[in-house]
Amino acid sequence: MSGADISAASGRAAAKVRLRDPYFAYRIVLGLYAAAFLVFLYAPLVMIAFLSFNDSPIIGFPFQGFSVKWYAKVLNTPVLLQSFGNSVMVGFLSAAIATVLALLLALGFRHAIRYKPGLLNLILVPIIIPGIVGGIVLLIFFGYLGVRSSLWTTVLVAHVNWVLPFAFLTLYPRLHRFDRALEEAATDLGARPLGVFRYIVWPLVRPAVIATVLFAFSLSFDEFIRTIFVVGYDRTIPVQFWSMIVDDLAPELPAMAVMIIFVSGFTSLIAFLVGRRAD
Amino acid sequence: MLLLAPGIIWLLLFGIVPLGFMIVMSFWKSTIFGTSPDFQFANYAQLFTTSLYADLLFKTLRIAVVVTVITLVLSYPVAYFISRRRGIWKALCILGLFLPFWTSYVVRAFVWLPILGRGGAINKALLSLGIIDQPIDWLLYNEGAVYVGLVYVYTLFMTLPIYLSIEKVDPKLIEAAVDLGARPRAVFFRVLLPLTWPGVLSGSIMVFLLAVSAYVTPQLLGGPSGIMYGNMIASQFLSNNNWAFGSALGVTLIAVVLVILGVSGRWVGLQQVFTGGARG
Repeated sequence: MSGADISAASGRAAAKVRLRDPYFAYRIVLGLYAAAFLVFLYAPLVMIAFLSFNDSPIIGFPFQGFSVKWYAKVLNTPVLLQSFGNSVMVGFLSAAIATVLALLLALGFRHAIRYKPGLLNLILVPIIIPGIVGGIVLLIFFGYLGVRSSLWTTVLVAHVNWVLPFAFLTLYPRLHRFDRALEEAATDLGARPLGVFRYIVWPLVRPAVIATVLFAFSLSFDEFIRTIFVVGYDRTIPVQFWSMIVDDLAPELPAMAVMIIFVSGFTSLIAFLVGRRAD
Repeated sequence: MLLLAPGIIWLLLFGIVPLGFMIVMSFWKSTIFGTSPDFQFANYAQLFTTSLYADLLFKTLRIAVVVTVITLVLSYPVAYFISRRRGIWKALCILGLFLPFWTSYVVRAFVWLPILGRGGAINKALLSLGIIDQPIDWLLYNEGAVYVGLVYVYTLFMTLPIYLSIEKVDPKLIEAAVDLGARPRAVFFRVLLPLTWPGVLSGSIMVFLLAVSAYVTPQLLGGPSGIMYGNMIASQFLSNNNWAFGSALGVTLIAVVLVILGVSGRWVGLQQVFTGGARG
């Protein structure tokens, strides 16, 4: 009797089978271990959510009573709201640019083209290059060109660089999969290239594109290591969060953390669900 | 191909050309008056002959290796556990695995401060249980805290490719080994592990590359003794204004990355690594 049969027939004569099943103990230990791993992943985040309601000017224990004052403080601090706004705007714009570029690349890649492996590696360059180097090369590049660091110049470029490979990697497999014959039929029936895209390709790839935009947004929203070098005097929310940790561990940090987790977690979750439906 | 042009131009202009700028600048000279184009090797000479920098590079490589090994050992059983679930449980497990990683690693590194700190959760718990009577200081601001932080921040990049490669293993092969009398240990080391090698390698490369260029985690949790190579690079640009030397440090880091990818390229393709070992 194999291990798989045993697990299938675990209802029958369980005690007897367990004695002979050399994997029973392993399975129990594995289950306990997986649970412990889950605690390791979630406990710190649950704790920070808990601490965000702590009515104490110091981050940490003991818990001195329930309060939403740190959330109120975040929502009443113009600098923090502006950083949030900056991140949301840069997130959407860089997601849009990266998704358009990635969609064009993915469409182009379905044709027989020369240097395909080389081009594929070129697309991967921004994620192969360590993030910290991805930041300093742009600082040097724009510094040399005399472009002043700001949200809508250097930060936007850094974010598009960062999310473009991911946008491509999520779009390309889905575009690759659908039947080219559909497009060819439309072309044979006299449709112009834009018409083929509008009526054949777009309806098929739309869910994947929406998933990609949301996924790209969350990557941009959370981007820190490239941004810190090219942000100039502007602030995105991770950069603002960082400077508040480094400066004085401000008591509203846990509340900010919860808000950041909520925004990027929520968009990623939607992207995940849309992406699964697109498959 | 016209469709490819915008993306390729973007990547060349903002991806490749800036890299070239950094490589050129790594041979320049930075003084208090700015960075000037004097071609010279002094930056690299300084980097490899000053024990401070060379030691830091080796220490960083060591930390990255240890983090990779820890995440591998922690992740493999979890990946196996998830691959054995069915239906909705499997979907929930995968979602549960992803969810904590869908937020900024700055936040995920930060959460360890109120856990490991002098007045943090662990110290408070041990004090109130009477196990210790004074807060432990060595939980934070050292190399150990960096390991905790890096493993916490990057473990998904190991779990996911391993899970994907376990999923591809035909369960019949495991059954056959069991039926033929293989002990659990033999099934693992002689059947499962060799078959999931591409996932293990993809995850290891990914975690190693992320860990070797870490900046946030060592900066927040490492203290003076937990500092890593990325912190040295950043300080050349953010505080020391020594861009030429910083460029040389950056070029060296890229060289390390390329060597790792080149060596591992014999077993696992570049594209395979960055698609989570899902293909091939």
